Amino acid sequence: MWRREAGDRSYRSGWEGWLLRRWRTATAGTASLRRARCYGACWIQRIRAPRGDPGVLGLSIVQRALLQTPSSRRLRSQTKMTARRCSHRARSTDRLAHVQASGHLEEQTPRTLLKNILLTAPESSILMPESVVKPVPAPQVVQASRRESGRGSLELQLPELEPPTTLAPGLLALGRRKQRLRLSVFQQGVDLGLPPSQEPHGNADASSLTSSLNLTFATPLQPQSVKRPGLARRPPTRRAVDVGTFLQDLRDTSLALAPPDTVLEDTQPFSQPLVGRSPSVHHSLPCPSHSGAKDVERAASRRTWSSGLGLQNNGAGKPAQLLAGKVEEVGALAMGFPNISSNISGEDGIEPLQNGVGEEAEERMEESLREVEKAAEAQGSARAEEPEGHIEMTEAEGSWGAVEAKEPEGSSGDEDTSGRTASPELASSTPEFLRARRLQILETAPPPSTAVLPSEPPEPLSARLPPKPRIPGSRPRQDPYKTGLDHYAKLFSFYAKMPMEKKAVEMVEKCLDKYFQHLCDDLEVFAAHAGRKTVRPEDLELLMRRQGLVTDQVSLHVLVERHLPLEYRQQLIPCAFSGNTVFPAQ
Amino acid sequence: MMEEEKGAEEQQRFSYQQRLKAAVHYTVGHLCEEVASDKEMQFSKQTIAAISEVTFQQCENFARDLEMFARHAKRSTINTEDVKLLARRSNSLLKYITEKNEDIAQFNLERKAKKKKKLEDENKNSVEPAEAGVVESEN
Repeated sequence: MWRREAGDRSYRSGWEGWLLRRWRTATAGTASLRRARCYGACWIQRIRAPRGDPGVLGLSIVQRALLQTPSSRRLRSQTKMTARRCSHRARSTDRLAHVQASGHLEEQTPRTLLKNILLTAPESSILMPESVVKPVPAPQVVQASRRESGRGSLELQLPELEPPTTLAPGLLALGRRKQRLRLSVFQQGVDLGLPPSQEPHGNADASSLTSSLNLTFATPLQPQSVKRPGLARRPPTRRAVDVGTFLQDLRDTSLALAPPDTVLEDTQPFSQPLVGRSPSVHHSLPCPSHSGAKDVERAASRRTWSSGLGLQNNGAGKPAQLLAGKVEEVGALAMGFPNISSNISGEDGIEPLQNGVGEEAEERMEESLREVEKAAEAQGSARAEEPEGHIEMTEAEGSWGAVEAKEPEGSSGDEDTSGRTASPELASSTPEFLRARRLQILETAPPPSTAVLPSEPPEPLSARLPPKPRIPGSRPRQDPYKTGLDHYAKLFSFYAKMPMEKKAVEMVEKCLDKYFQHLCDDLEVFAAHAGRKTVRPEDLELLMRRQGLVTDQVSLHVLVERHLPLEYRQQLIPCAFSGNTVFPAQ
Repeated sequence: MMEEEKGAEEQQRFSYQQRLKAAVHYTVGHLCEEVASDKEMQFSKQTIAAISEVTFQQCENFARDLEMFARHAKRSTINTEDVKLLARRSNSLLKYITEKNEDIAQFNLERKAKKKKKLEDENKNSVEPAEAGVVESEN
């Protein structure tokens, strides 16, 4: 801000204007006459200063302003420092002596005062206040006392003058670096005047003084001048995240995990009743290509145990077609929730619907998660009311809490221990996965509901579906979205308050997967019912109404307010903004 | 006055509800008897009562859902589409309903076709005698 352009005469605005006004008010008062003199001195210096170096002057003025605001006590010392910077005249140590000897500021003219300040002013960095953070209190106290004593008692000046001398080397360095500040003239003076005075009083004093200012025209780095290079802050080097390598890593890790999962699933003791079915399930797998899209389904939607039958028969063909097409849209699932609505609205066809449904389901999950945690019983009952009897809700309660935090981050590194191989090409896998799911649901529909409870991890789950469909040959199908389910399962195990077996966690993941599948299918059907191809919040509201979360007393917006963080609330609830605009647009 | 009316209304509704429940219970009892004779198993009274209670509750749920679905589709009338949406969970039920729906649609079409034919026949009949008359007159 202190880098004013040459020719900028707008003293009325900005800090300069502020300073000018302050000066004027100061001049109005008799008691502050001296202060006015200092201001005036500063201003005079500015006017006299060469055109091409407004920054220096501006800096000084800013320093002054800053000094004024926190404590006017430091004004004296700071004015000296600023004057030092402002002035371009040659300075010498003689000035210091002169200053020291002078004692009272009143006897000095503003001109000499500024000269002294420039001679003795410490150097501080606007950009790097931390690097010069040092024993601030000592010199500040000195300055304060100095101010109180009323301008220039000799004792007070002395300690203050000493530290500034140490900053000369910093100034020098600055001068070399900041050519455009036209410090050349100043630098000459400094070189002439200060070499003898370059004594390592230590950065402490300098930094203490400068820290009060937090201003310089210096670059962030002060390598040469800083006595303690360790204090200099370097900007953190951040490597851009390489999505490709990240996905590759996911694949590798999931590949490593896949084999043991297959073994585990085959040896599940409770899968006996489903032995007859599992082969059929596996048979269904190879039919369509099974890609990571199923993970989308899984991460995005879960099917409930009961009755996915209707969906199976009717939807089997459709989702296959739908999902076959989408590739990049599925990737959108990894995007944050704020993108959900944009993605949904921007796409056409049922393909995006599926994806959008998934995203909406995630969003819904978010919304309903907290609700679930709070109204667990109500949910369970409300769900049971539904003819389908979704029981996973209770199971997935605990793990849902993390979904909200997880989902916005999109995929992450964890693999779904259920062993489903997924791949970034989600589209091809989705239809196969969906079909497999539907078959599973159809087969396992009979013993659906009954006993599943959140606190009883595996046993009711064990009677459920066989291991998830997997294609032995489809190696590269690692779905980064599966990580969401893993996260959910971990949360679930956390909220269970008792240790959970790995099988139980897997079962929970499966249930969550099915639940989300079912959820997304419902959303899709609702949207189609309304003659739309895009899932909209109205569909979600209908779904939540059926779930019993949204009632005549509790609206969707109320739930959003209650459970979602502010960012999502801004995106969901229309709010009037300035300029007569409403966001999000309705 | 208002309170009395409200109270009377509530009572009426309640009695109406009870009558409906009784009707449902009666029907359920009959159905259970049929099933019992079919499977040679007996139904206890409590079972029939429970089933009828559940049926009644489910009917209420269905009604609410149907209304929600119709409103979601921005309609004020419940449609067969709403019913199909409701029944989508149960595969067999959905199939059954779709078949029935198709039958009904076909029936309606046939009826419409019949009506159209009747109209056409009448028109033809009215035209033919005229033509016949013309022909006769010509002859």
